[in-house]
Amino acid sequence: MTDSFIVDEEANYTVGKAQTTPDDESVGVKKSFDNGLGYWGTSFSESAASLDGVVYAGTAMLNRLLEREGEGNIGVITTAGFEDHHRMGRGIASWADLSYSGRLHAREHEHPDPLVPRENIKGVRERVNMLGAPVVSIYEDEIREAVHDLLDRDVRVIAVCMIFSYANPEHEQKVKEIAEEVKEERNDDTPVWLSSEQNPVRGETPRLNTLILEAYAVEPSREQLYSIEDKLQDEGLDSPFRVLTSSGGTIAPDHDWLAETMLSGPIGGVFGGEFLTEKLGIDNLVCSDVGGTSFDVALITEGHYPTRWDQTLAQIPTNIPMTALDSIGSGTGSYLRVDRASNRIEIGPDSAGYLVGVSNENADVETPTVTDCTALLGYINPDFFLGGDIPIDVDAAREAIDEQLASNLGEDPVETARGVLDIVERDMANELRSMVHGLGYAPENYNLISYGGGGPLHAAGYTKPLNFKDVIVPDWAAAFSAFGTACADSAYRYDQSVDVILQPDFSNADQVADTLTGVFHKVRDKAADAFVRDGIDADKMEFQPAVRAQYTGMLDDLEVEIEEFWDGRLSGEDIEQIIEKFEDEFGRVFQRAARSPENGYQFTVAIGEGVAPSPKPTLPNEDPVSSDTPPEQAHKGERAIYWEGDWHDANIWDMDHIQAGNVVEGPAVTEAPATTMLVPPGFEASLDHNRIYHLTQTNE
Amino acid sequence: MSKPESELHDPETTTREREFDDVEPPIGWDGQTLQEMLDESEHLLEETGHYRGLDELEFKEQDPFQYEQMYSRLRGALVSARETALHVSASPIVREIGELCFQIYTPEGDSVAVSTGIIVHVHTGSLAIKYMIEEDYEHGRGIQPGDVFCNNDNDLGNVHTTDVHTFVPIFYEDELVAWADGVTHEIDIGGMTRGHDQIASTNRHEDGLYATCEKIGEDDQLYQDWRDRGQRGVRTPMYWDLDEKCRLAGCHMIREAIHEMIDEVGVDTFKQFLYEAVEEGRQIMESRVKERMFPGTYREAGFHPIQWEDKAWQPGAQQNMMNHLPVEMTIDGDGEMELDLEGATPPGPHPFNCAEGSMEGALWVYLTQSLLHDGKVNDGANYAVDTNYPEGSVVNPQDPDRSYHTPWATIFSTYLAVSKCLSNGFFSRGFREEVITGYGEPGDALQGGGKLKDSVADAIPDALGDYWPVGPFDFSCQGLGASACRDGLDYGYAMFNPEADLGDVEEWEQTQWGLLQLSRRVKPNTAGHGKYRGGSGWEGLHTVMGSEDVSMYAFSIPTVTWSSAGMSGGYPGGTSYSVRVHDTDLAERAAADEPYPLDDQPVGSLEDQIEGEEVIRDQDGMFFPEEFENHDLLRYQTSGGPGWGDPLERPPEKLKEDIEEDIFTPDIVEQVYGVVGDYDANDREFTIDEEATEQRRQEIREERAERTQSFDEFFDEERERVEESDWNDGIQYMYDGVFEQSEEWAEEFREFWDLDDDYSP
Repeated sequence: MTDSFIVDEEANYTVGKAQTTPDDESVGVKKSFDNGLGYWGTSFSESAASLDGVVYAGTAMLNRLLEREGEGNIGVITTAGFEDHHRMGRGIASWADLSYSGRLHAREHEHPDPLVPRENIKGVRERVNMLGAPVVSIYEDEIREAVHDLLDRDVRVIAVCMIFSYANPEHEQKVKEIAEEVKEERNDDTPVWLSSEQNPVRGETPRLNTLILEAYAVEPSREQLYSIEDKLQDEGLDSPFRVLTSSGGTIAPDHDWLAETMLSGPIGGVFGGEFLTEKLGIDNLVCSDVGGTSFDVALITEGHYPTRWDQTLAQIPTNIPMTALDSIGSGTGSYLRVDRASNRIEIGPDSAGYLVGVSNENADVETPTVTDCTALLGYINPDFFLGGDIPIDVDAAREAIDEQLASNLGEDPVETARGVLDIVERDMANELRSMVHGLGYAPENYNLISYGGGGPLHAAGYTKPLNFKDVIVPDWAAAFSAFGTACADSAYRYDQSVDVILQPDFSNADQVADTLTGVFHKVRDKAADAFVRDGIDADKMEFQPAVRAQYTGMLDDLEVEIEEFWDGRLSGEDIEQIIEKFEDEFGRVFQRAARSPENGYQFTVAIGEGVAPSPKPTLPNEDPVSSDTPPEQAHKGERAIYWEGDWHDANIWDMDHIQAGNVVEGPAVTEAPATTMLVPPGFEASLDHNRIYHLTQTNE
Repeated sequence: MSKPESELHDPETTTREREFDDVEPPIGWDGQTLQEMLDESEHLLEETGHYRGLDELEFKEQDPFQYEQMYSRLRGALVSARETALHVSASPIVREIGELCFQIYTPEGDSVAVSTGIIVHVHTGSLAIKYMIEEDYEHGRGIQPGDVFCNNDNDLGNVHTTDVHTFVPIFYEDELVAWADGVTHEIDIGGMTRGHDQIASTNRHEDGLYATCEKIGEDDQLYQDWRDRGQRGVRTPMYWDLDEKCRLAGCHMIREAIHEMIDEVGVDTFKQFLYEAVEEGRQIMESRVKERMFPGTYREAGFHPIQWEDKAWQPGAQQNMMNHLPVEMTIDGDGEMELDLEGATPPGPHPFNCAEGSMEGALWVYLTQSLLHDGKVNDGANYAVDTNYPEGSVVNPQDPDRSYHTPWATIFSTYLAVSKCLSNGFFSRGFREEVITGYGEPGDALQGGGKLKDSVADAIPDALGDYWPVGPFDFSCQGLGASACRDGLDYGYAMFNPEADLGDVEEWEQTQWGLLQLSRRVKPNTAGHGKYRGGSGWEGLHTVMGSEDVSMYAFSIPTVTWSSAGMSGGYPGGTSYSVRVHDTDLAERAAADEPYPLDDQPVGSLEDQIEGEEVIRDQDGMFFPEEFENHDLLRYQTSGGPGWGDPLERPPEKLKEDIEEDIFTPDIVEQVYGVVGDYDANDREFTIDEEATEQRRQEIREERAERTQSFDEFFDEERERVEESDWNDGIQYMYDGVFEQSEEWAEEFREFWDLDDDYSP
């Protein structure tokens, strides 16, 4: 499906759906907009001119990779001797995406099929060492031979990745130079891409893979993006059309590299979270998203969310910067089974996904799911699931839970259903705890936001064991990820491995400052150029530099935001302050005992992001009513819900009719077409003027 | 610029400042001493067959959901401590390969849960804790809140010398409620040669630095003298220091997590949970065995050849030896497993002696990959298996004087036999897909080190020194054996670590500055042949630059014995070998853009593109520390896994793929599989000649029929050889040792071969 989410300046939103049209995505996109805007009594062509911008986040590129339907004919030139790196996948590719037990189970490991056949990978003799010194000069005749050979094979693109090219790109540039000569001789215009230009970051296997992915799965989407842009402009769109990246901004479809847009869907909520921290003055926020197949968590700490490089996509190791998001494979659709050997309930890792569960009368699911448990416990309305689109058969849920789970455990089906939720929610709580502790903080330092279709239903359960400052649930929780997408800034991000050493006595701090300043100027200029290309005034760009730093010798680094020290350059004093910040962060994350200032410091990566303001939604703002009790028209009746060993009569409320200032007292369930919020006995949820619920426990 | 006056930069204040109140013994539960707890535990297990006499899991039965939550919370705490702590470490071995593991033990030293990482350590710490209890540290040395202990003494519970454990006792009020244990694998431990799996040492005194259940700190801080000893006792003080910080930080995180858990659930529930989790581990192990194995007795033998007559340094080690590692696995109808190594060789003048704890650890690392991957792994599982590692043998020497630096050689060979026993059980039960015919034996490919020349060293931060250690763990990507329905995994398996990773060259060269990699290529003909072939290995080539005082060696198991043979007609993987070229013309070639070697394919061709004063080709892949000059070449390889089934049954189309992917070369395919065709190497296109293939396959069948003899003939011929001791000196060493070690085994041998009662080999 192609979903569209349209938000107005007051955060009113509408959601449209249409079949995806893979051959020409623009058709589905337009239909989806028409569908959504239809609820507001208008259509895309009628409203296009009033749009402030369109942000696209899609899974087409990832699907192309998952289904191995990308475009082949890719040629690779790499350091001779390492032509097999792509297919060897560093070994890790054979188990990277498996569950914990799958990782242990050797027999399950399998390499993904390589994206480039071995005969299209050519080696050229050369070597650069870790300091960037060319210790074996590149063999120019071999370059020539390799380029001819690849062009004879009719490749679409030549991807070049040499060892240590992030430290010294000269050899890659030499390949390009000679390739251009050969192309001219042959009157050929095959593009030549360099890893040192796309993503000059340490790790030759992921660096090469990322370049290959750009050619295989990403570049084929560029035409689609243009066609969507053209279509929308034909319909009257007069504002920018941009694409969401996984590192937190939006870029134009004609940006040099689009690999960063490969995986952006699930991350939208984090940008929404960031937007809320700014608007609501929150320092630290845990973003938690309960979907059909997984539970995703990201942390915004002091206004920032960390980025990671070492992600795999469809098992392939890459170095695409991605907003740090941890996932555990339990979602509302996760299947439930009893392991006969251990007599233990196993949750997932596979899931019924959009088929919901056994209780879905319209699907043929045989194994009970988490949603079947919530149905049996009275938490969801059998007649109003997805607004009534999916009829729910509670008896079928009960029967499946009884036969397949409860009877094996010698338990009652209702107890079992609640027990399953206890495990699921405790696993979620463990994940939250370990992420927060992993950064050296405690839950008490954070607010938590819960969203996704299943978030509000499980929020009370998974936050109960932890002591967050505040648990908030926006009333548009089901659409919060899409909302977040609309909150993203226009941003161009550049990473550069630098490996600069700072002596323990800071004796070379001035020199380090100069080196970093030079790198930042370079990346700042690149970002500015990108904005100029997009027709955005470079002066409007805000430059946000960050470094990754470590104690010399340690092998892992921490990201330190250094915007506050940047005034167009860095000084020796700034470096000291940056180190102080690093030491603070290190002590918090890794325990002070592990600090090793006696070894000096190493700056490993310079990160520069140019950000230009883009139009954003505003939060709803309603005058709170004086009455705590929701209005009568919001009351839909009562239903029994099961909680902590007993059945309780719960009020059922219509979420849309609850007014700012109302307090929903548990036991209660509030229902909206796309989500359900459970307010268990001993909890209450007050709705503030931004239409955000604050879920609190009152019986402690 | 001087250092700013910030307390943050003052090393004195960077250690956590905490003081703990001492507690009076007894520190066990309910007024017991630890010794009393341990005695009671052993007694109850012996008497009832259940851990702590728990024939029922009361807590689990009453509240299965809270019980499971506690387990997942506990394991979550271990995993998260590990993931956080490993960032602190310096060694790529720890970070890239994850040679770091955390465990929680009961006060009496039984493992309850283990983090991810190298699961081989699940049980080793247990033995060390029990040693401290039995030596009454409680009243003598003292076990107090905030204390830190260290052990790497293999004889008391460790895998090998370079695995170093940090123990932190966890108290709640005045009772010891649990122990946290963190282990890392050090890149150097200060032994007689460089390297983390030495081959030259022959006794303890050559192994390097040993800590024998030593108290190394209190109030969460390490003693100054201990830190100095570590710093001065190893060649890589910075790695040592950072790895130790990593273990300690992780243990402290675990302690915090446990305190939080106890605050929440209460100490009595926590205690009950610990015990039930161990007993549950025991029960799960029995259920799994019952579910997946077929009752009966399974027998296989592992062998470990050590051809050192012309290689070893120490006079006592200069002999050809073959270690015998027989395995008898018995499965009964209730899911009990027995593992008996009666007939194992005595310990020897080599570093391959393997303590009982190492063998047990290895059992867990192997079973978690094949049988227990979805269960709870802890000492309960250990109690469910009845093991006999004969005392005084190479698999349980009970002799602290031995060298235990590299017991992995013994482990790899033994567990190939265990793997086959299990596989026969899976196969009998119908689990063809679970069969593992074996694995490429992951010897530690390259080790050693060197120093940067002054001119280059200027570019390296002073804190790191000039010495660069060599210990790439790229050998953790070997070929896995075939199953009974599928080919083995290529270049992606290590018996010791289910999460195998080659690491990037750009990562390894961050630490081994002077050793440059020139290639890493799939090595044809390493995969074992079969209807389902084994996984393939790869070969690598290194040179040295900008350095001096460089010495390197390779620990490799030659893969020439029955241990790694396939199953049901499958072949073993190819044998390993090494090539070294000294005093080469590499620099001149590179300057003139003349080709230098990138592999040794076809075998023997490496010298075509390099000239050197000395070329050494080593047939078994293992060589002792050797000096290297700049621009010398060193070629090594990883092994392939064994195959399953008759190669003649492999479909020709599969062999076409194999050829096009460099798994096999066309000549070998014709020779072994009888598949004939033309290969266009440039386009990687193999065209099968169907007629010739059919003919060649028929010929092979006829050749086989000609060579066939009856079992009786075969037995008689072999018996004659046995009677006359018609074998080489390595085999003679083996039989001498085994006959001396085990009268039981000797007797069975005589009976089998129908020999006189006084027969000796």
